[in-house]
Amino acid sequence: MSTPAAGRVLLEMSGIGKSFPGVRALEGVTLSVREGQVHALLGENGAGKSTLIKILSGAYGRDDGEIRIDGERVDIRTPADAERLGISTIYQEFNLTPHMTIAENIFLGHLPTRSGMVDWAQVRQRSRELLETLDVHLPVDTLTGTLPVAQQQMVEIAKALNRNTRILVMDEPSAVLGERDIENLFAVVRRLQASGIGIIYISHRMKEIFELADEVTVLKDGRYVGTRKVAAVTMDELVQMMIGRELEDIYPSRRTEPGEVVLKVSHLAQDRLARDVSFELRAGEIVGFAGITGSGRTEVARVIFGADRPTAGEMELFGKPYRPRSPRDAIDRGVALVTEDRKRQGLLLKLQVFVNTTISGLDRLSRFGLLRLKDELALVNTWIANLRIKTPSPEFVVANMSGGNQQKVVLARWLSLGIKVFIMDEPTRGIDVGSKAEIYQIMADLAGQGVAIIMISSELPEVLGMSDRVLVMREGRIVKELARDEANEEVVMHHAVGHEVPAA
Amino acid sequence: MGTAQSTTTATPRRQLRGSILRSPILGPVAALVLASTFFALATPRFLSGENFSLILQQVMVVGVLAIGQTLVIITTGIDLSNGMVMALSGVLLASFAADKGLNPWLAMLLGLVVAAGFGLLNGSLVTGIGLPAFIVTLGTMNIAYALTRIYTTSTISDLPPELTFLGDTFSVGGTQIATGTILMLALYLLTWFMMRYTASGRTVYAVGDNIEAARLAGINTSRVLRGVYTIAGLSYGVAAILQVARTGVGDPQAGQTSNLDSITAVVLGGTSLFGGRGSIVGTLIGVLIVGVFRNGLQLLGVESTYQVLITGILVIAAVSVDQLTHRRK
Repeated sequence: MSTPAAGRVLLEMSGIGKSFPGVRALEGVTLSVREGQVHALLGENGAGKSTLIKILSGAYGRDDGEIRIDGERVDIRTPADAERLGISTIYQEFNLTPHMTIAENIFLGHLPTRSGMVDWAQVRQRSRELLETLDVHLPVDTLTGTLPVAQQQMVEIAKALNRNTRILVMDEPSAVLGERDIENLFAVVRRLQASGIGIIYISHRMKEIFELADEVTVLKDGRYVGTRKVAAVTMDELVQMMIGRELEDIYPSRRTEPGEVVLKVSHLAQDRLARDVSFELRAGEIVGFAGITGSGRTEVARVIFGADRPTAGEMELFGKPYRPRSPRDAIDRGVALVTEDRKRQGLLLKLQVFVNTTISGLDRLSRFGLLRLKDELALVNTWIANLRIKTPSPEFVVANMSGGNQQKVVLARWLSLGIKVFIMDEPTRGIDVGSKAEIYQIMADLAGQGVAIIMISSELPEVLGMSDRVLVMREGRIVKELARDEANEEVVMHHAVGHEVPAA
Repeated sequence: MGTAQSTTTATPRRQLRGSILRSPILGPVAALVLASTFFALATPRFLSGENFSLILQQVMVVGVLAIGQTLVIITTGIDLSNGMVMALSGVLLASFAADKGLNPWLAMLLGLVVAAGFGLLNGSLVTGIGLPAFIVTLGTMNIAYALTRIYTTSTISDLPPELTFLGDTFSVGGTQIATGTILMLALYLLTWFMMRYTASGRTVYAVGDNIEAARLAGINTSRVLRGVYTIAGLSYGVAAILQVARTGVGDPQAGQTSNLDSITAVVLGGTSLFGGRGSIVGTLIGVLIVGVFRNGLQLLGVESTYQVLITGILVIAAVSVDQLTHRRK
């Protein structure tokens, strides 16, 4: 779209740096937004977009760099600071109180008073006006909890406008919307733009960026890659900027001879999150599942593992019907899941290494209900040695271990059971490079022993480095299957974000 | 982005913290020793076999109630119903044995079944509908209370000897020991063994630590929770038998403050209200701490109201320690 007369520079962030223990999350990042501009922020998962936004909105403090608004240096330490400076952020998870009305939400924390009493007439009047400007026609006394997501989003925007917002940050606002609602959202964004508000728009979807944004800034691995005028950049160039990094050679080389079909999934569906998913998995192969967050990969994994029930479809395991009613069923049939959120779903954090290792196989270690503690300890020590888990003792509490060692404990749990189908959801998330390489080696060894592996990952280099085949998911469907030699970052990314690749 | 991953190797200090976590009863044991030393110095009557036996008798009912409470709290639950369930069970077993002529042993079995049934009801409501344990047991506490009052408002006496022998004492080297205290200690031993040496015990800790992670590790979490509440109910039934034996009557007024007393003992014993962490041995120590304080203050002539006051302070101190260690993680 055409760029409106570029207004004055509203916001300048320069040299922004931020560290978390053990991780340099941002380094030298620059972002500048003008009045009436839509500025897209682009980058892979973990590129640092969220961290940057959280610094701007006062959720995190910054370590380095400076922020200027209207050319003045400002210090944003708390969300209240950001609000005072006219910065509002709409996160993917809304900040609305469902049991309050639209008007109450719009004025939450800012209720006007007249002689000590809340001036409800003014609250309603002003709320109505704000909704009008967004072309939303709803009674302002409706409880927000009863509204569909798209309208809740509008209430969030109205709330921001009520706070005299000059810079509006929208974190993947289209991710939660359907096609029609997206059109609506775009119309609203353009209206805000016309009123002079500067908008920072985060999205994975290329199409939206080209339709909506004036400028785009790309981040990669916490670093600033560059800023381009949307009118003067191609999609290929942007993809290149997002992923253009060197492939480190930490992936073990291996020869694969896929064996018999182990798992056959036909027309599987899970609510609206996964639709018509069909694929086959063979013994000894590693199949990568690529796609952006929310594309349905985790949902498919959970159904195969029996953690959720499918709403449609059939599965076969080793040629026999497979309908796991619980994770226990799946485990007993030789299927395991390494969950994406290790701390909340994978580990019993406050318990010890040995408890975490054997918790899924206690029946094998018991006789008449009594645990054979000596056998248990021997088994745990074997796996500590096999996987080179760094722990002072089997009785160490896993919460105090590093991410890589924690993940190895999770792997030890499943490996000790002799798993045949291994689903690994983000197996190296939050893990240092050394442990990553070790986990890749473990995966390669397992495949060599005939274990079938599904690897879900948002890190493209890892998907490409490890997989024999890559299945790309988008909006709940498998949209493309790529053989190892067909897959490269560009092609995968194009399919993942929904853009047909020009024949290369 | 945003989840900071600390890359650490195990340093000796971390190791130490780990081992302290593994022995959560160190604190309670220290508190018990300190309290005992204080009372031993303050009054010569404290340090005698007779007095220890008395303390054990005084705590045996709440001690058995606290066994069930411990299991429930390890799963991040809480059981407010135990005192009322005990009262109902006690009144029923006493009246069936004394007034209705039922075989006293069958009457005790009836009491156990009723109490375990309440436990199963609690567990089913917690798992089936997903209600918070606090609300469920607040409800069943009132139901049990009302049922007791509907059944009778007067105490039931003239009990057959089978119902009171657990309150009788026998002599060991001149010290009188109540039979019931032996039963209490045996139950602690049994529960300790179960929690430590059985797969079921292990899964109780797992469910308490993180119910979703436990489910994804293949544990049938609903079955574990129903089991825990049912076993807890069973322990309240045993407590009812002890209560009847100790007082010699079936008392509809019994157990009015037992829920809070048992929670006090569990918390003093180092079991975390956040779940996953705690020990049955700790609870026994916690029960003894309360018993020693009550007894010692009594010997010193402190009014019972002040004893309650001091117990209150102890509880807040113990929970604060739990909260602070939890927050540091």
